[in-house]
Amino acid sequence: MGSEGNGTWTQERLAELICRILRDDLLACGDDLGPTSKLLDSGLDSLTVTQLMLAVEEETGVWTDESLLTPENLETAETLARCIHEHAQSG
Amino acid sequence: MPSPAERLPLTGADAFLLAFDTLTRRENRASHLSQIVLRLGPGFDAEGFRRALDDVVRANLICAAPIRRRRLGMGLPEYRLDLARRADGPRFHEHTGGERPPRRWGEAAPLPAIFEERINTLQDASRGGLFDVDAVRYADGSTDLALTWQHMLLDGFGSERFVELLADVCAGKRAPDELPAGDRPGAPPPLELPQSQRERGNMAMSWQRWMSELGQKSVRSPAGPERGVRQQLAVDRVQFADEASAAIVARANERAGFLTPMIFYLAAAIRAHAAVLAQRGERPESFVVPLPVNLRPKGVEGAIFRTHVSLLWFQVDAELVDDFEALLAALKEQRRLAIRSGMIEAGVAAMEYARGAPSRLYGQMARRNLKGELCSFFFAYTGEFCPDRESFCGAPFEDGFGVPSVPASPGSALVLALRGGRLGYTHVRQRDAFRPGELELFQEKLHRDLSG
Repeated sequence: MGSEGNGTWTQERLAELICRILRDDLLACGDDLGPTSKLLDSGLDSLTVTQLMLAVEEETGVWTDESLLTPENLETAETLARCIHEHAQSG
Repeated sequence: MPSPAERLPLTGADAFLLAFDTLTRRENRASHLSQIVLRLGPGFDAEGFRRALDDVVRANLICAAPIRRRRLGMGLPEYRLDLARRADGPRFHEHTGGERPPRRWGEAAPLPAIFEERINTLQDASRGGLFDVDAVRYADGSTDLALTWQHMLLDGFGSERFVELLADVCAGKRAPDELPAGDRPGAPPPLELPQSQRERGNMAMSWQRWMSELGQKSVRSPAGPERGVRQQLAVDRVQFADEASAAIVARANERAGFLTPMIFYLAAAIRAHAAVLAQRGERPESFVVPLPVNLRPKGVEGAIFRTHVSLLWFQVDAELVDDFEALLAALKEQRRLAIRSGMIEAGVAAMEYARGAPSRLYGQMARRNLKGELCSFFFAYTGEFCPDRESFCGAPFEDGFGVPSVPASPGSALVLALRGGRLGYTHVRQRDAFRPGELELFQEKLHRDLSG
């Protein structure tokens, strides 16, 4: 996993990145969406999840195949960040 | 002269569907309609439904508005709301169905004949009256209900929300004109294109180039190239039992992702069609399938009326079809690349540009490019049908599904969805597109791939 500015991508920073992309570009959810918000309740769907993974890839260099995205992994930005981080470490 | 408020422009996708309608009317003597079927238990309140339907249509003139072009039929197509008051409203027909056919899980069953008749009707969108509703009442008190409309009025997402609006109005829970923000006058389009004409033009051109590239390899649909025959669609409905559904859904989620199982279903659908062609001794170089993509903003209640979709196109080489895993990987990769390169947005730009073009141009371009074919078949996966809706106008809501129209060529459309966690599919086909024995082969291959 590539580095971001002055540091590497920790799970926390990944969660922040996910929240920022969803808030700014993909979901009409306002500023309420945080690391523990329920992503499916916020409107995440088949298109936005792929757009999200592409945006994360652009920032971090890591592509996470959709088949790894289980309901548990997609529960919150935190759980998704953990999934991406673990995938990057194992890859 | 009607005021601008009395005119509602068709979206680019609406105009695309209007082109299909023009094509189907001219070459197949039918309209490009769409249908939703609700299978209801005993207790359906027909009078309550009739009142709700009338109220909703009266409150939402688009339901009965003719579609016309300005300037002697040469301008942009639009709904003429000012003329809706004089046009026919929806027609509600009740039929007696006798004994209800028993439900057999995992086996194909036809729809009531009147539903098939309705989807093969010739309707004139320029005259308004875009709806027909048929209720077949069975001896045990249960009902099959079909709503049939000009496809451009409601897409898959919108038609489910329309069913929910009718149910709420029937139950007195919602006013008939209580619509999502996306349906209100002046609502922004679901997807904002760049302001610059040049940028939009470039996007449209990139989509057109993509379409042109599809023609570099041969394509064959079950019905073969357009033949100018009368459209005679037949519909098979299959619903899997709880256990089988759970196994298939788990397999799709595992292979393709919890939110993107449509890629798994699409792979199975391609292989089922390929099996039919292979039995005929036909081996096209590739399979080409469009996948509708819902454009509505996520996280807010989306618009009900008009179609708000783009299309992602897939093209896979024939040799990939024999290997399910390789096919799945290719489809995933194509979807990822298409989304990354902005093809969803480019499709919207292209359809917006083409709104002003004569409808028949679309069909002619597509057929020229693919040597008489439009694509290999139509496909959609629409997720859970009306989730959390357990009753409809007083009756238990047992099953619900979409029945899209498909032109006589390609002659085959496969739509998968869930209802109450059960997986089902609707196979709409031109009657003579499949030869004797081929439907059985198609279903066997499809079920085998779904189940693993």
